[in-house]
Amino acid sequence: MSLQDNEKEMEKDKENKNTNEILADALADKSSRRSFIKNLSIGAAAASATLVTGCVPGADAAVSGEMRLRWQEFFKKNYRLMTEEEKEQTVSRLERLAALKDGLELQIGSEPPLPKVLYGYAFNITRCEGFMECVTACIKENNLDRKTHTQYIRIFEMEPGQLDPSTGDGKYFHEVPVENKFYMGTQCFHCENAPCTKACPTKATWREPDGIVVVDYDWCIGCRYCQAACPYFGRRFNWGKAEIPKEEITTKQHYLGNRLRPMGKMEKCTFCIQRTRKGRLPACVEACPTGSRVFGNLLDPDSEIRYVLKHKKVFRMKEELGTEPKFWYFID
Amino acid sequence: MSAHTNRNVRTFIIDVFRWNLRGGIGFQLFRLLLLGCMAMGIYAYSFQARFGLSVTGMNDIISWGFYISNFTFLVGVAAAAVMLILPAYVFHDPNFHRVVIIGEGVAVGALVMCLSFIVVDLGGPLQAWHLIPGIGIFNFPSSILAWDVLVLNGYLLLNALVPAYILYSHYMGRKANEKLYRPFVFLSIFWAFSIHMVTAFLYQGLPARPFWNNPLLGPRFLASAFAAGPALIALILAVIHNFTSYKIDRSVFNKLRLIIVISAIINLLMLFSEIFKEFYFPTHHSSAAVYLFFGMDGHDSLVPWIWTSVCVNLAATLVLAFNPGKNNPKVLLPACVFLFVAIWMEKGIGLIVPGLIPSPLGEIVDYLPTWVELTVTLGIFALGITVVSWLIRAALIIEERYEH
Amino acid sequence: MNFGENKREGNKRTTMKTLMNGMARWLWGSFLLIPALLLVCVGTGAASEKKPFLDTIKSVDAPFDSRSVQQVQPVPQPTVVAKEEYQGGQFRVLARKEQIERHKCSNCHGEKEVKGKNAFTLTHGNVVVQHGREGSELACIDCHHPQDRDALEDKKGRKIDFDHSYQLCGQCHFRQKRDWLGGAHGKRVSYWAGERIIFNCTTCHDPHAPRFAKRFPATYSVPLN
Ligand code: SF4
Ligand code: SF4
Repeated sequence: MSLQDNEKEMEKDKENKNTNEILADALADKSSRRSFIKNLSIGAAAASATLVTGCVPGADAAVSGEMRLRWQEFFKKNYRLMTEEEKEQTVSRLERLAALKDGLELQIGSEPPLPKVLYGYAFNITRCEGFMECVTACIKENNLDRKTHTQYIRIFEMEPGQLDPSTGDGKYFHEVPVENKFYMGTQCFHCENAPCTKACPTKATWREPDGIVVVDYDWCIGCRYCQAACPYFGRRFNWGKAEIPKEEITTKQHYLGNRLRPMGKMEKCTFCIQRTRKGRLPACVEACPTGSRVFGNLLDPDSEIRYVLKHKKVFRMKEELGTEPKFWYFID
Repeated sequence: MSAHTNRNVRTFIIDVFRWNLRGGIGFQLFRLLLLGCMAMGIYAYSFQARFGLSVTGMNDIISWGFYISNFTFLVGVAAAAVMLILPAYVFHDPNFHRVVIIGEGVAVGALVMCLSFIVVDLGGPLQAWHLIPGIGIFNFPSSILAWDVLVLNGYLLLNALVPAYILYSHYMGRKANEKLYRPFVFLSIFWAFSIHMVTAFLYQGLPARPFWNNPLLGPRFLASAFAAGPALIALILAVIHNFTSYKIDRSVFNKLRLIIVISAIINLLMLFSEIFKEFYFPTHHSSAAVYLFFGMDGHDSLVPWIWTSVCVNLAATLVLAFNPGKNNPKVLLPACVFLFVAIWMEKGIGLIVPGLIPSPLGEIVDYLPTWVELTVTLGIFALGITVVSWLIRAALIIEERYEH
Repeated sequence: MNFGENKREGNKRTTMKTLMNGMARWLWGSFLLIPALLLVCVGTGAASEKKPFLDTIKSVDAPFDSRSVQQVQPVPQPTVVAKEEYQGGQFRVLARKEQIERHKCSNCHGEKEVKGKNAFTLTHGNVVVQHGREGSELACIDCHHPQDRDALEDKKGRKIDFDHSYQLCGQCHFRQKRDWLGGAHGKRVSYWAGERIIFNCTTCHDPHAPRFAKRFPATYSVPLN
């Protein structure tokens, strides 16, 4: 039977199936073909390495394997355009690269958004006492650069009578709380109408269906236009190579979340996407000793965040800009 | 004129290279100097490639610095080529027709510099292909930066292809078909406005930055560009007039002076209007202007910078307007230099850096470019000057031959 | 070189006229080039005319089954079902009793009065009551049950379990309790999804000195330059 006949047969077969099955088939087909090609190329690489060096490839093969992974990583798509399968592939490539290069055992996830969930955050300016436990928890959880002291969360010590952090002191270091001062935290507010995502020329940053504004670190070109567009100082840039002691790296990661960022890319708070998509609270909420931080699902009428919105006096920062932050300050 | 049967595209390109590799000893030294500067730039950039943008003076608060400042200014210089195209093609001024090609050469050089500045400013220059529609994603029309990439490249194409076509025709010894390129010339006139307006919109469209979020920004960009650009072109024309056999008519300089004066006055008017708005009743949106003109919380690195710029700008504009030397180039050319430098100071660092200070959370830091930034910038300027000199040299040789 | 010294008046006037004409045309030019951008702006501007975001949220009132989130694990700490309900119904709080060092209290405090040299200092000497107005702090039996030391007692004389101390605290701190029930005070344990398990009052507050002690912050922000 010739190849064409074979294909016709298959098509006849397919007509009898429903579309779902066809899709599944096609996917399976593609992947098997791809893995076949992959195997071929691995074989070819190994063979050529043997030819060139004239001996059994040892370290060289590892290097060429790393090069191949890097090559595939370099030409991958924007995360949003990847199929589930491609997402898994890139995630496993990243894990293997980390293992090859730094001997790290990472678990990088690509959990999709949960249905009927829109995350929201509230911050109690009456309760916060400025202990900054949230800041350290965030640094640890999100693998922030220790060298430049990158911090997603800033806490400002505020004079009574003021509500704008620009009047506060963001660099305090003394015993807290100080009488007659209050404390106000800022971070990325995950604006519904985010100026940062509008600005990005490559769509490397976007709002996920669950409301989290994320950055695809591998798609970002590092132009920093989003940073200029953010009215809340919510974004941080990897000016150099991030330095994190190996034993302090949080190994449970998410592709869009706390995975190790390359140099020259934008990053920001992701509401700890690696945790929240598994139902957990963000690290800052979990670390807060005063319970000033409230996190939950805005689409759940029984959630804590909805209670705050319903029963408390709330306000948002720079509301006049119309960015619709999903981060409310409230007063007890 | 004899038929140049042995000429074709290949000989055209070869000739362009040949002409540019020859030249007197002074010219060769100039070449070497530029090459040296470029090499230094590449050396400095190698640090940036290795250690990232951390070797620059920028940080999370001042996220754009010297590179983007120069980029912004040079877009204006590129747009200013229209000031030669307009009289030449719209008003059919024969004298301008002779120099229009020079203006276009300057525009191409400025655009090459602009694009280089963008590239060296990127954190991930290797990922720049993500911007190419088709293989990457182009966030059009939402992102103004995407617009900017589009209009800059379009303008570069227009300004490179039209003169290339004309020069090639002249090189082949025939008259360029004006019907063919005229639409493109008109397109490039509109395009010149658009590159500068879009670049202004880049900043103007950010409500996060009150210093930029100001409807006057776009028009002021144009006005300052049409002052600084023609000032530079006048200087280049003077150099050509003095150092080559290609003589430029005096009326060109006189008209350029008028253009410069009108634009500079409009620019100053708008500047004063802005200053009035910021300081008559300062709101918290004025803090960037306060920082720029008077300093804030002990941070005042830009204060001498901006006042120098404003004073020099004012003085140069007055000299150009009242013309004390009666068109004496010994007075006008230095005035052009000063005006150019003053606008560079004001529209480069004086516009970009204070827009980012204080940060949206009210924090103030000072910005000083590092040696890497300065050297890379020097290299890019050298590259731009090289491009301009190559283009103009080739163009002038072809034009002179064609005229005779 | 000395260009343009013999410029005539007429020449000047025509130049001016040409320039003015030119300016007019540029204006037209800029009108022509910007419509596309304007369209975009108007388009997005019109889009932002829609219903306020908060209204959209508040209009969602179908309950969300937060137990549908699969990855939620049971919390390691012991919990009890609360005796009151929040807007979503039943919930759990962190148990307290196991946390108390000398529980059960009836081990010492039985029928008989406890006698022993320095017994109080040795066992409860670390307790400094800083609860209530300064100068007139609360006494032990304001909260502890006078007879049954394994329990607390509120002002109405009801016996209250240590695990449900919120019932006691809430009699004075009723505002905080209301917020705690609703979710504006205190916090959930580890998960935003799954069954609601929240911190008890005593998980965060030392009942004898409920105010948080002053201390240095865990870190600080460095200046950027
Ligand atoms: S706070 Fe800033 S970074 Fe976060 S979504 Fe809003 S604009 Fe974007
Ligand atoms: S820095 Fe990255 S995320 Fe930000 S606008 Fe540029 S490409 Fe987009």
